[in-house]
Amino acid sequence: MSSDVSTGARHDGQASPEPPDRPAAAPPARRRSLAEWRAGFTRFLRTEPLGAVSLVLIALVVLVAVFAPLVAPHDPLLQNRTRITEGPSAQFLLGTDDLGRDVLSRLIYGARSSMLIAVLTTAISLVLGTVFGVVSGYLGRTRDLLIQRVMDTIQSVPPLVLLLFMAVVLTPSIHGTIIALVIVITPSFNRVARAETLRIKEEPYIEAARATGAGALRIMTRHVLPNMMAPLLTMASLLFAGVIIAESALSFLGIGTPPPTPSWGLMLSEGVRYVEMAPWMVIAPGVVLSLAVFAFNLLGDALRDFLDPRLHR
Amino acid sequence: MIRYVVRRLGYGLIVLFLVTVFVFVAMTFIPSDAVDLMLADTGASEEQAAELRAELGIDRPVHEQLFSFLGGALQGDFGRSFYTDEPVMQLFLDRIPVTLQLGGLALAVGTALGVALGILAAVRRGTRSDSAIRGVAVAGLSVPNYVVGLLLLTVLGLWFAWSPPFVYVGPTEDFASWAQQMALPAIALGTSAVAGTTRMTRSSLLENLGSQFIRTVRAKGASERLVLYKHALRNSVISVLTLLGVNLGTILGGTVILEQMFSLPGTGQLIYQSVLDRDYPVVIACTIFYAGLFVITMIIIDVLYALIDPRIRAAREAGT
Amino acid sequence: MSAEPTVETGQETPILEVRDLVKHYPVRRGAFGRGAGVVRAVDGVSFRIPRGRTVGLVGESGSGKSTTARLANRLVEPTSGQVLFDGADLLATRGRELKALRSRMQMVFQDPYGSLNPRMTVFDIVGEPLEVHGVSRGRARTARVTELLETVGLSGRDLYRFPHQFSGGQAQRIGIARALATNPDVIFCDESVSALDVSVQAQILNLLKRLQRELGLSYLFIAHDLNVVRYMADELCVMYMGEIVERGDSDAVFADPRHPYTQLLLAAIPGHDPATAKAKDRAVARGEVPSPSAPPSGCRFHTRCPFAFERCTAEAPRLRTSPATGRAAACHLLDDTSEGGPS
Repeated sequence: MSSDVSTGARHDGQASPEPPDRPAAAPPARRRSLAEWRAGFTRFLRTEPLGAVSLVLIALVVLVAVFAPLVAPHDPLLQNRTRITEGPSAQFLLGTDDLGRDVLSRLIYGARSSMLIAVLTTAISLVLGTVFGVVSGYLGRTRDLLIQRVMDTIQSVPPLVLLLFMAVVLTPSIHGTIIALVIVITPSFNRVARAETLRIKEEPYIEAARATGAGALRIMTRHVLPNMMAPLLTMASLLFAGVIIAESALSFLGIGTPPPTPSWGLMLSEGVRYVEMAPWMVIAPGVVLSLAVFAFNLLGDALRDFLDPRLHR
Repeated sequence: MIRYVVRRLGYGLIVLFLVTVFVFVAMTFIPSDAVDLMLADTGASEEQAAELRAELGIDRPVHEQLFSFLGGALQGDFGRSFYTDEPVMQLFLDRIPVTLQLGGLALAVGTALGVALGILAAVRRGTRSDSAIRGVAVAGLSVPNYVVGLLLLTVLGLWFAWSPPFVYVGPTEDFASWAQQMALPAIALGTSAVAGTTRMTRSSLLENLGSQFIRTVRAKGASERLVLYKHALRNSVISVLTLLGVNLGTILGGTVILEQMFSLPGTGQLIYQSVLDRDYPVVIACTIFYAGLFVITMIIIDVLYALIDPRIRAAREAGT
Repeated sequence: MSAEPTVETGQETPILEVRDLVKHYPVRRGAFGRGAGVVRAVDGVSFRIPRGRTVGLVGESGSGKSTTARLANRLVEPTSGQVLFDGADLLATRGRELKALRSRMQMVFQDPYGSLNPRMTVFDIVGEPLEVHGVSRGRARTARVTELLETVGLSGRDLYRFPHQFSGGQAQRIGIARALATNPDVIFCDESVSALDVSVQAQILNLLKRLQRELGLSYLFIAHDLNVVRYMADELCVMYMGEIVERGDSDAVFADPRHPYTQLLLAAIPGHDPATAKAKDRAVARGEVPSPSAPPSGCRFHTRCPFAFERCTAEAPRLRTSPATGRAAACHLLDDTSEGGPS
């Protein structure tokens, strides 16, 4: 249209000393947004030293879990019948258990199932809870009422009791555990996502998007969702810690990860009977489990401080 | 106010109804039949199994089971144990005092410790002790409460050759023995409540200390101590109260493991044993009872909340 | 397109016409939730925007200006009334047709930063209408967005920057570029410059004027700053408590305000034309604007009007158009010549 008049005029003057600025625009700008992420990350490390510590711990746990076969000194299932409940030594750094299995190797493999379950549970709940929360908060009315009643119902049963109940219903297995945990965790994500949606809904840019003709689906995915990433991320980190605890508790009670697979909770329950004979059987998994949970809690705590502008006084 | 309480109770009943529906629907997903499990070792015939099923009422479709359960529930009959044939209601009522004692103690320990740490952190805000307290609080949250219990048992057993009494005695019979048995699990359970309470106390205290109202009190010449304890803290109670609900859920759940570990005959032990035995009527009823316990406590907290803060009272009575 | 806007012939359909727009919001009154009432945010508003012209909407905050704009483009569903966009009944339209009509009416908002999604790049923001309405994609869209940015005085270098990297005036230019993306016929400007510095305001106003000339746009221009409206508007509507109390040619209204409320507004402008000086003495703001959930009986302005008399408290004046001048005002003082005594 008429705006061509002005732009056209500029492009006619090829010989003009001022070079046209259009072609080079895109690539550096894309990189700039990446650089922003990096800058934010460095700022996080600087302002939240505890957060930095937690990242190191998390990286350690994740790496160990992924590369368990390379890192573990022994086969976690190998029973050395002659060397049961042996204290820490050069060969068995953290001692052996009642069946003569290497505690350290079992801890390392235990990180695998723990991380696998925590990652899957958190990811699935994050997606489900966010979808429910955003739909509920943005569309409101009947859908909101329905979804929130279901969430209230789930949250009215204490988490571990609900998990116990689910243990009766589902066969003890990794995927059974994940399903049960997802049911317990999803309402927490839902609550955050819904509250954030109700807040974001009132932002002028949402009205602006509606004015351009954008539909509900588009507004929810393109405008509402990206603006609640900070609190969701914080919540995910804290709930990840909670999932590790819950999973270990289920294994401890004998209704989580089924026996031969090494898991921290299972190791603790095996150790109870040998507390006085082989305290390392309880102390080692107890400390490792707590450290892993601590790392994620610390990260969540640091993220909450870092991402919440109200706390910067 | 009464209208508000009635409305809250009504909503609580709806939630409990939904929990019941959820429980019965979920039960249809059960992989292996309880009866098969019960009769597995007895070598009973297929006929006997069918007879038992009919007797237990689990051969009927879910909605019929649900309705007959609800019908019974209205008359106070929540079913009977598969094994002992005792009414579940009676089983639960027999054991609930122990769980309430444990839960109450844990909540008290956790909240008291949390508030104390929170005040300390707020008074020393920005200093090293502030961040140290924050670290300790997060650490407390991170050690699962059953691990705290285990570690306490390990340490005391190893170094002091002390283990808690194994037979539960009520506080009225032998208080010392009761206290000995309750102390460790209560401390273990309470640690999980400390972190949240500390954070909440700290932030709401800081917020209140900066408010106009507190500045006025200060201007009138009140001492710092008076300002802190009398005025600021009173306003912070409300926010700490909201956390009680969250902590309650965790603690009620935690009793399941700790009762088991410290051989306390509470409802947590009951539901856990029933899960292992697949004693469905007990599991179903206990799940619903726990929800009821939670719902009732939430209502009490909400009402307290409204009583403490008149502004909230007005809003609640006007609004939803 | 010719630089000269088409001369309005009277026969021609206006690009936008609203008739008797009403928006009532239900409210709970009192601390106990009893006695539900309504807030009459907009109460029977009618006006038309001729093609290529600007209609200004003025009034104090809470007078229903912004709601009127949102009713006219159906961001808010009206309680009753009619909206004719280019002759089409907007309120009866749904689905794809509604979307198509929406692309022809865009909006520029008050808060330059707030109305831009902080997580989106300029390219995504300005390109969103193109995407929503399926106008262009890929390279064509990049080219179009660049062109739009240049039209509003930004450049292609800004494509992948985020809103917070711009000044307030630049951010508002981005908002304008977004509004232009779908080649709309009408743009609603809701206090579009009131959040900006005065020097920047002038730049944005001139930009809007240039765009109107070049693209033949029509504006519904909402502002509480009368100087701004005077600069922009061809025609003026003055709103008070959800109603239009005076309407007419902008220059004429400024030169000779008929309604006491308009006189009051104009008197409040520092250093304004002495034509209203006579009113200035008496027309001082008396009291506060009444609560919109309990509007005064009769003429809604009578509680603050220096000229109020008995009839004003009893009977609501109607907006009467004078056939000779085309101007309209709703005041009993002005029509006691045509109709004597209470009817």
